[in-house]
Amino acid sequence: MATAPYNYSYIFKYIIIGDMGVGKSCLLHQFTEKKFMADCPHTIGVEFGTRIMEVSGQKIKLQIWDTAGQERFRAVTRSYYRGAAGALMVYDITRRSTYNHLSSWLTDARNLTNPNTVIILIGNKADLEAQRDVTYDEAKQFAEENGLLFLEASAKTGENVEDAFLEAAKKIYQNIQDGSLDLNAAESGVQHKPSAPQGGRLTSEPTPQREGCGC
Amino acid sequence: MKSSVSVCTTPLNGRHDRDSRRNRKVADITNALSVSPVDVAALRRMAISEGGLLTDEIRCQVWPRLLNVPSHVLEQEPVERENNKDYNQVLLDVQRSLRRFPPGMPDEQREGLQEELIDIILRVLKNNPQLHYYQGYHDIVVTFLLVLGERLATALVEKLSTHHLRDFMDPTMDNTKHILNYLMPIIERVNPEVHDFMQQAEVGTIFALSWLITWFGHVLSDFRHVVRLYDFFLACHPLMPIYFAAVIVLYREEEVLECECDMAMVHHLLSQIPQDLPYETLISRAGDLFVQFPPSELAREAATQESTAASTFTDFGLASTQQRPDSVLRRRRRQKQAALESSGAAGPSAVAVAGPSVARRFVRLAVMGLTVALGAAAFAVVNTALEWAPKLDLFP
Repeated sequence: MATAPYNYSYIFKYIIIGDMGVGKSCLLHQFTEKKFMADCPHTIGVEFGTRIMEVSGQKIKLQIWDTAGQERFRAVTRSYYRGAAGALMVYDITRRSTYNHLSSWLTDARNLTNPNTVIILIGNKADLEAQRDVTYDEAKQFAEENGLLFLEASAKTGENVEDAFLEAAKKIYQNIQDGSLDLNAAESGVQHKPSAPQGGRLTSEPTPQREGCGC
Repeated sequence: MKSSVSVCTTPLNGRHDRDSRRNRKVADITNALSVSPVDVAALRRMAISEGGLLTDEIRCQVWPRLLNVPSHVLEQEPVERENNKDYNQVLLDVQRSLRRFPPGMPDEQREGLQEELIDIILRVLKNNPQLHYYQGYHDIVVTFLLVLGERLATALVEKLSTHHLRDFMDPTMDNTKHILNYLMPIIERVNPEVHDFMQQAEVGTIFALSWLITWFGHVLSDFRHVVRLYDFFLACHPLMPIYFAAVIVLYREEEVLECECDMAMVHHLLSQIPQDLPYETLISRAGDLFVQFPPSELAREAATQESTAASTFTDFGLASTQQRPDSVLRRRRRQKQAALESSGAAGPSAVAVAGPSVARRFVRLAVMGLTVALGAAAFAVVNTALEWAPKLDLFP
């Protein structure tokens, strides 16, 4: 857990969304712990992880919200979308239904985040080539049509997991550099951390209870 | 026999005391079971008081009594899995529930139990089409399966699903969210400072969602702790798990207040439940809090919390049944107004502003005699359940 003075210059908020059992929590675990969690249980509500990574020479803290995939939990997970700078939208390359549901996830993500939110499509379980049910080209085309970044990855082998988080972070950082992402906007999902320690609460956090899931 | 009682002063005397207390309790439970009619009130007290029901053998006899389920139930037909709307989802969740089985259990045995787990869930859902499966439900069912075996577990889970868990099994999560709304008012009553800090951090209550809807089965790794809590919850009002959740937060007061006042940080801290909690102490505290601040007293507040959010019609309906000339509501509005005016400058200054009122509102928790409080908690089950929620007409 970070304490002031900060050893990173930005916080990027990420969300991970997608159907049940596509491996959202495993991707997060692989990314934060560099390990595959074979007996990863289902997620209830939201879980949370962080990691500091270097992007274009800057230390950036990723603050990642991993959401439950079951439809009924969307009522509570939706409020965590707000103010996300990046979204990992995950499907399982061996289960076509999880790919078919992407448009619904994408609609949610678009409606509940801001126009600058970087969305990356992740085809997980790429190690299970023999059971592939969705081709790379097809998903690539879907991503292009919808302006998404795209990667196939494997939480099991770790292939492309690092890159999935990194590619989105690069894009977000690029948006900051070229000024298309306004850091002062309330829901940019990015906090600049000047080197001087700064107390108090953060202003660009989501406030789930205002949306109905809180106390 | 395993024991979860851990405190003893001198090794020999302590152990002696503990053994004799335990023996006495076993005798009391046996007595309560053998009289006719069975002394359910006594069994409730045993399930709540220190150590709970002690062993799984005793649980097999007492849990059915607590839920008013006959202990001899008929074997049921297996449920057809083809074309079952819930099967795929249940299968997916059960397949990745390996952690919920005792470590070291042979794969074959575990796989057999997983099949039974699927059958129980599908059977209950089929018999009760009004119930909707949620992820986490199987965390509860597996606990019953491991203690009671398939047949008895089915009967108890069915009863529980139509009573204690009923609100979680609605088509939507509105009622679940409503129950979570009890958390902050309880915390506020006991420790306004922690309450205000959490409000300031805007952490919400979702960190407690998995605790509530799995009765902590999803988050505690030691099965003995899980069943001890189940003893307690089965003997109490359906809202007791939310009191227990509040007690955990309150127990971690120092950690919470030392945490960076930031939504993500506080959520992260609270959602990582410590595995070495002093369960017996926390159980008796939760019982105390229930008696001091019964759900009926908190209901209006829980409902007004919702009103700042996208309130649903159901919640509104629930709230309106509870409404009286409402000074609490007005007071809260004034406070909110004042906070709003004073927080114009910046976030951190609001902390200072909140300071004095925190001190004034601090209520010291009265220490009640354990037995009295727990007896009353058990008694309160009968008295208050009907007051607060239309769905929870306990055990006809």
